[in-house]
Amino acid sequence: MSVLRWGRGHIALAAGTVSLLALAGCGNGGSSGGGNADGEVGGEVRMLVNLTDNLDQSYWEDLVAPFEEATGVDVKIEGPTGASVAETFPQQLAAGNAPDVIQSIFPDDDTMPQLLDLSDLPWVEGTPMVDDYAIDGARYVVGIGSQTQSLVFYNKTAFEEAGITETPTTWDEFTEDLGRLKDAGYTPMQTAGQFETGLQLQQLFHPTLNTSHPQWQSAVADEELSAGEAYLPMFQHYADWLDAGYIAQDDVGLDPSSADGNFIGGQVGVYPQGSWFVATLEDAGELPFEVGVFSPPVDAGQDYPGPQGATMADPYMINAATGNMASAQALVEYLVTDETAIETQLSADGVFRQDSGVQQTPIGEQVQQILDEAPELVAVGEGFGDTRLPVTGFNPKFTEIVQGLYTGQSPQQAADALDDWISENR
Amino acid sequence: MARIMTKRTAPRRRVWREATVRAGMVVPALVLYVGLLVVPVGYAVYYSFTDYNGFPNQVPEFIGWDNYKRVFQSSDITDSMVVTGTVALAGAVLVNLAALGLALLLQQTNRFNTFGRVVMFYPHVLSALVVGFLWQAMLGPQGVVNTMMDKVGHSSLPFLSNPTWALWSMIFVIAWSLFGVQLVLYLAGLQTIPADLIEAARIDGAGRWQTFRAVTWPALAPTVTVAIITSGISLLKTYDVVVSLTGGGPAGSTQTLAYSILAVSFPGRKIGLASAEAVVLIIAAAVLAFTVLALRRRAEEGAESIG
Repeated sequence: MSVLRWGRGHIALAAGTVSLLALAGCGNGGSSGGGNADGEVGGEVRMLVNLTDNLDQSYWEDLVAPFEEATGVDVKIEGPTGASVAETFPQQLAAGNAPDVIQSIFPDDDTMPQLLDLSDLPWVEGTPMVDDYAIDGARYVVGIGSQTQSLVFYNKTAFEEAGITETPTTWDEFTEDLGRLKDAGYTPMQTAGQFETGLQLQQLFHPTLNTSHPQWQSAVADEELSAGEAYLPMFQHYADWLDAGYIAQDDVGLDPSSADGNFIGGQVGVYPQGSWFVATLEDAGELPFEVGVFSPPVDAGQDYPGPQGATMADPYMINAATGNMASAQALVEYLVTDETAIETQLSADGVFRQDSGVQQTPIGEQVQQILDEAPELVAVGEGFGDTRLPVTGFNPKFTEIVQGLYTGQSPQQAADALDDWISENR
Repeated sequence: MARIMTKRTAPRRRVWREATVRAGMVVPALVLYVGLLVVPVGYAVYYSFTDYNGFPNQVPEFIGWDNYKRVFQSSDITDSMVVTGTVALAGAVLVNLAALGLALLLQQTNRFNTFGRVVMFYPHVLSALVVGFLWQAMLGPQGVVNTMMDKVGHSSLPFLSNPTWALWSMIFVIAWSLFGVQLVLYLAGLQTIPADLIEAARIDGAGRWQTFRAVTWPALAPTVTVAIITSGISLLKTYDVVVSLTGGGPAGSTQTLAYSILAVSFPGRKIGLASAEAVVLIIAAAVLAFTVLALRRRAEEGAESIG
């Protein structure tokens, strides 16, 4: 049976690839040779990781080097063969050459049966957000901290020149401040194209949305709430800001790194971003202005600050079919419990963790404070754990819909498009 | 008697040996063709009638024509078909006009034209992803073109931030990256036209345009057919440039069918739907090829009947 399954998956991959007239490259991970069948730690472990500018191959190799030295396990770091780990892992599963450990993605209904249930492992207890990501009480993923999603970075010099003395706590105040920034000659709010258009709107709206509709993803899944209706107020804010020139219509064609550069260049008032932007600011060196950060506003009458959108940072999952289970478990235990390994990961990518001893930059300390003061950490995008939308592919579609606001669609049309898509893909 | 038997079996052995040699030459190619093309396409057709997430733990469930119904009912997918059709049609016209025009200019062999041919072929050497990123840096809101326009006091143009502009910018960039191959085809085609035919036309008093219409164009017909079919199929598969130039945006206005298959349906683990889209794309490519061939055959028959 397993041979048949392997064959079917393999052929599915080949069929998909070739029938597209060779549109895409074929996923080709290595095989996990040297598996330790006797259950002792040793042999080789393949780990699929996300490779970025700051999390490059040498970073990962340095991170696992002490583990390799202590245990004799050879950890083979593999980057995605497709566009991302999210795209590569299912391909490798289908092809029968999935890695032993998977970093950067989260379990869902499709991948869950392929993953090891970590619930009974003692070292999993107390790791950040582990229970938030549990599905029906089972823990399939562990991480080392949180990436805070709902942050608004701002230019303190611009605020002073615009006569803004306090950061806004309601949407009315926020809109008023954008007007003042425009009058002072600054780009009031920087947005960007590609994936960032939808992401930034979500980042701004997490606190309000999760105060108005706690666990909104579950409510949509249970058909108690319309996602379009829930997002309509924020679509309206965006449409108003576009009309008023507080957001440039051209931003929809701007690549995200140029948007980062605009803020760092000092011509921008506010810039919605996640905590990873702290690492970008640090890399930029000394800036000609002081940077501040605040939690996004909420509706009048709601408690401020609202819930903070957050995701587990550096999530690790283990392939249930790994041929070297003992070593895969030992590696993940090392990555999420060893103090040096945790500190290395926290410093590398703007990751935050309560009671962490890592020395933060001043802006990092402000982010840590926002995280500490947030009444709760809430699921973002499609959601996580048991709080999930009944669809996959939400973020790209959401971005497409938000971009429609930049190209002339009305907020109601955007809300309807969101509902139509969810009902079509539910 | 033994000699007669030997004489009879010798030719038979030779026939067998020749057949074995022929089979030995054909079978490897046949195995590769069947294994790498026929079988996967067959499986794609099979999966297109199933609900399947591509994972080993799920058995594909037969759902009949549901995926095909969805392909033609989903506005997202039908919109991507319209974009693909526009890219294929407009792109093929642009690519072939540019390639043919430049081939006519560069057909004489001299140093300048040799250099010109290399320069014109150069975009095709670049990866399509690199081409997209390159033109993003040129046409983006803060790209080279808009910055220069800004410097000379003109307002910027929404090359990538307006749906209509973004589509035509993308078609231009794809045409720029593709026309090198078509140029080589046309140059090769032009070199097959006998010089004495051109000379005879000129002696008869034909001007440049008349010579092109009456001699060059009919002689180039087979090349034109190949160039249109190959460029059309390449344009139908447009994916890489979409990823790096526009990401399918703004608001999905540049999402092609190939992009929808690879960036939306496959990552969404809708293998059945993605396979149905792929089958539709294969059929579209086949229809394009057969239509162009049929038109050419009809034109040839028409010419023969006049002659």
